[in-house]
Amino acid sequence: MARKKKTVQEIATVTEPLTVEESHVNNLREKLEEIKTYEGVIGYILRNSTSAAIDLKDPTKLIDYAILSSSALDAGEVLSEDFNLGDVKSIIVDGKDVKMLSLTVSDNRISVFMDKEANCERVLRKLHGL
Amino acid sequence: MDDEVYSFALKNTLDEIQNICPDIKNSFMFKEDGEIVAQDENTPQNVIVHLTDSFDSILEKADAIGGIEGVTLDGSKGKVTISCMNDIYLVTVTSRKADMTYVNTVTHVLIPTILRLLDKINPTPLKNKTPPFEVETETPITKEPEEQTETPIEENLMEAPEETLETETLPSERPVNQLIIENLGGLLVPSDTVRIDSEMLSQWKEFSDSTKIDQVEIETFDGKTTRCKVKPIKDSKYEGKGIIQMPEKIQLNLEVRKGELVRVKPLVH
Repeated sequence: MARKKKTVQEIATVTEPLTVEESHVNNLREKLEEIKTYEGVIGYILRNSTSAAIDLKDPTKLIDYAILSSSALDAGEVLSEDFNLGDVKSIIVDGKDVKMLSLTVSDNRISVFMDKEANCERVLRKLHGL
Repeated sequence: MDDEVYSFALKNTLDEIQNICPDIKNSFMFKEDGEIVAQDENTPQNVIVHLTDSFDSILEKADAIGGIEGVTLDGSKGKVTISCMNDIYLVTVTSRKADMTYVNTVTHVLIPTILRLLDKINPTPLKNKTPPFEVETETPITKEPEEQTETPIEENLMEAPEETLETETLPSERPVNQLIIENLGGLLVPSDTVRIDSEMLSQWKEFSDSTKIDQVEIETFDGKTTRCKVKPIKDSKYEGKGIIQMPEKIQLNLEVRKGELVRVKPLVH
């Protein structure tokens, strides 16, 4: 009897986080879809260890943007450690043409690309409000 | 006015900015090629090198967004801001409670003003687009009296007008370059050989009138030195970046690691 009980517990611990994670990713995607409708936003990249979702107005820039996003997030971690800045809340790379906002939300690496004049704060509020 | 005075003026400016904005914990300035123009006393050299390396990795891919004007990293305990001003990047690290409007107002007014002023006094130092290894060459030897120079190389170098630093340098002195350590690994990599930029090796050859430079002396900032063989860098991504690729064994001997700076001199036979 005791064995059976243990099996049930094990299943529960395995399945529960997956469901939470999935719904969390879906929730993020929904938010990002909404963000994409904001004025000046030109696309986003959402990546985690198992999946990636990319939506860019100009798909030819996909690889360049993906590499830049990854470099910025990696650099952010290094800098945060070097200067003891704690958890990285966001990294904003201001380009001459485009602005990129990158952040990590529960192991999901997100980058939102937007025009220079677009409202970064609004995007951030939306994503951190999850 | 030389680079030293220029850096001194900028360092003083950074110090003054930190005085009026105590929430700025660290500040320094560097050029796109990684050369540090000015730095405060709080920031260790290896941390700056780390930052310039990390920044470089973003900069390399930033063509996609039209180049970089600035980077802001917001952390739970503070913020790093990198702003481009007159081809120089200013880095400020601020505490969480810093009034960023005030900090940005001060830095974005003072620094460009000082840069403009210095540029008016003498436009050369920061407009100088020399590769990193030339810029990093230690200059004290340039102040040696001319009569000590040996003539043949001096004449040779005088023919190259763009290499003004070298024309004044004593050929009998060995050039010293500050290079950033990068790991060198692999099955067939000899543990007694470092790799540096082929262009730098050619310059050293030219400099010393030597046919071949196959050994270098490496000195750490702690004063540890070693001599080892040298070969040109194979990987093009490390070329022209002031990098020295170093096997782990040499790093262990010198008690240094990737990202740190070392002084490298050629051994001329």
